[in-house]
Amino acid sequence: METSLASVVDELSQLRDQLDNEVAKGKRVEAALLESERESRLIVDRIPGLVATLTPAGEVEGVNNQVLEYCGRTLEELKQWGTSDTVHPEDLPRVIEVITQSMASGDPHEIEERIRRFDGAYRWFQVRGLPLRDATGRIVRWYVLLTDIDARKRAEAQLAGEKRLLEMVASSCPLTDVLTALCTFVEVISADCHCGVYLIDWSGPRFRNGAVPSLPATFNDPIDGLPVRREIGPCGQAALLKQQVIVTDLETDPLWQESAIRPLALAHGIRSHWSTPIYARDGRVLGTFAIFHREPASPTQIQQDLIAQVTHIASIAIERASSEAALKRSEAFLGEAQHLSRVGSFAWRVAKNDITWSEQLYRIFEFDPQVPVTLDLIGTRVHPEDLTLLHDMIARARSAASDFEYEHRLLMPDGSVKHLHLIAHGTKNESGEVEYIGATQDVTQRRLAEEALDKARSELAHVTRVMSLGALTASIAHEVNQPLSGIITNASTCLRMLDADPPNVDGARETAKRTIRDGNRAADVVTRLRALFSKKELTLESLDLNQAAREVIALSSSELQRNRVVLQAELADDLPPVKGDRVQLQQVILNLLRNASDAMVAVDDRPRQLMIRTERDPGERVRLTVKDAGEGFDFRTVDKLFEAFYTTKPSGMGIGLSVSRSIIESHHGRIWAEPNDGPGATFAFAIPCAVMRTV
Amino acid sequence: MIRSLVAVVDDDESVRESLPDLLRELGFEVQAFSSADAFLASAFLDDAECLILDVAMPGMSGPALQHELLRRRRRIPIVFITAHADENIRAQVLEAGAVACLLKPFTEAALLDAVMKGLRNP
Repeated sequence: METSLASVVDELSQLRDQLDNEVAKGKRVEAALLESERESRLIVDRIPGLVATLTPAGEVEGVNNQVLEYCGRTLEELKQWGTSDTVHPEDLPRVIEVITQSMASGDPHEIEERIRRFDGAYRWFQVRGLPLRDATGRIVRWYVLLTDIDARKRAEAQLAGEKRLLEMVASSCPLTDVLTALCTFVEVISADCHCGVYLIDWSGPRFRNGAVPSLPATFNDPIDGLPVRREIGPCGQAALLKQQVIVTDLETDPLWQESAIRPLALAHGIRSHWSTPIYARDGRVLGTFAIFHREPASPTQIQQDLIAQVTHIASIAIERASSEAALKRSEAFLGEAQHLSRVGSFAWRVAKNDITWSEQLYRIFEFDPQVPVTLDLIGTRVHPEDLTLLHDMIARARSAASDFEYEHRLLMPDGSVKHLHLIAHGTKNESGEVEYIGATQDVTQRRLAEEALDKARSELAHVTRVMSLGALTASIAHEVNQPLSGIITNASTCLRMLDADPPNVDGARETAKRTIRDGNRAADVVTRLRALFSKKELTLESLDLNQAAREVIALSSSELQRNRVVLQAELADDLPPVKGDRVQLQQVILNLLRNASDAMVAVDDRPRQLMIRTERDPGERVRLTVKDAGEGFDFRTVDKLFEAFYTTKPSGMGIGLSVSRSIIESHHGRIWAEPNDGPGATFAFAIPCAVMRTV
Repeated sequence: MIRSLVAVVDDDESVRESLPDLLRELGFEVQAFSSADAFLASAFLDDAECLILDVAMPGMSGPALQHELLRRRRRIPIVFITAHADENIRAQVLEAGAVACLLKPFTEAALLDAVMKGLRNP
């Protein structure tokens, strides 16, 4: 029994010792714990960062001095963070949610949030919370580290904003939208300000509101259209002096007391006004970028960097917009020009058979612009008679990158015919592929006009011939009456000779012969006149220009004489024959003689000398020259002389020379005029000799 | 009887051939000239009793010769002949004293009538 008691006492004593030990140990642990807590407190206070501790339930337990200093609030105040403005109101719900979740799960958390500084400004922090657990794994405390990431955050936001703006520029958003976004962007980044972009129309020069999104119309409207002058305000000066103008306080700054902007700004509660020129790449000022504050303010370096960045973007946006407008204008202009001139353009990459057509070319071919163009498709429109021409052109185009030009017709579905004139320029690109760029003009109207003009000319030629009839009647009468007179006189003489006693038979025979001769002469005149007044197409024959000229001289001589014109003819003996229409060429000669004669009507102080000359010209040509001593013509109008309805004669129609020119040109010749050294003018034409055929 | 001397001035050769023959058949002495100058230079200027004169000629025209003769006070009856029915010239030469202005072609009777009238009233 005793043994058992002793052993029990011993056991109890051991247990007590053990307990004492445990108690002592526990006390040591507690002390150590207190010590470590004190140390960590010291460490926390000394960390060059913001640190807070939270209870396992998420209540703020303690913060280091840095937190107290940054926030400018007491620990008690900070404990109320969940219901105060310590965390930015926009971030608060998210922050509470994350922390609540983290407390519940015991997982560490990491949040980016804005925390209010003592002065009311919010700065971005990265907030990381880590749990402290005891031996059993129970969370005893949360350590929270707050890192100021405001600079990084702002830089990121700025970058993202700039990127968004540049994307807007690149995607051709309307300039107003881009500038509005730009102002809003700056207003967000740099709080408590209003921004505006003012464009300058240098033709005024006047300001145009580009975008001033956060200020009312009562402020904006009076500015729009203001002249760009220094006394207007900081924007005027910035634009004209090409330098930034910072007005910290408009109210007190003596420089701007008289400026137009001051009363307007003050009426809207604006105190500070900064204006920075927006430059084009070539240094021109495109506009100004303005920042307004409601308190006196001057820019920080960060703000200056921001201003530099956004004015650069604004410059890109404005230049881009104006060059796009110019491009659109020139595209529209080109389209309109193509439409008006009926010219379509095309590109043809031969190897790939890739053809691009302008809108107008589709219109000319009357193809649906949605349908891709192929050579086969083109072939369906080309006039069947011109298909060989097309194939030949394609074959030649494929073989070498040379320029080509050809005319062909289209046969349209309605059976009408279009005349096209195509010019193409061939090039080789870097990879050696042949590519053509060309223009196709619808010349149908011109062709029709030419045909109509030709017809009108030939009709005019006839008309002038007939009109000459009126003026020529006298000459004709003279020509006919002259032989008639001879006939009658000779016949009378003949009768008298036969009636004589004895009859003078020899004399009668002689006069009868003369009668026949004069009769033939009259018949010749009639033949010539009939030829002259018959309307017929060009009949080409080999003819002697001298002979043709002599006939015209014979027809005109009496009229010339009547006008007291002395005609001198120098017709070359060795003149080769020409190929032409006798009647038409005579028409030209007649016209030149009549003009020459008319030009000398008023000449009284010198002989009315008219020279007609034929000669060989170099280049197998024959030339006929008519030289008068008349009034001549103004050399400056020489180009007009041959135009239809141009005349220097009071009673002239002005068609003679134009018809003459068309006749000579249809003979592949040339007609021209030149003033004489002395008085008067010389008109001449040259036409090719008839080709001598050696068969 | 002495045959009256009639001068013919015309640049047209066929007239100078045919007209003198007819005038001779009608009983006149005839001398033909191809131009006004040739007539003025000739010895017949003073002897011609009547002048048959073409209106349109190269160089000096018929009316110009008429004017020249008036200037020289050489009064001679003139019978103009012309292939142009130009009333202005006709009136002008008659006003200046011409006996007649015959339009070609004219009849033998008209010619004789005019020449006789000229010879009667020098």
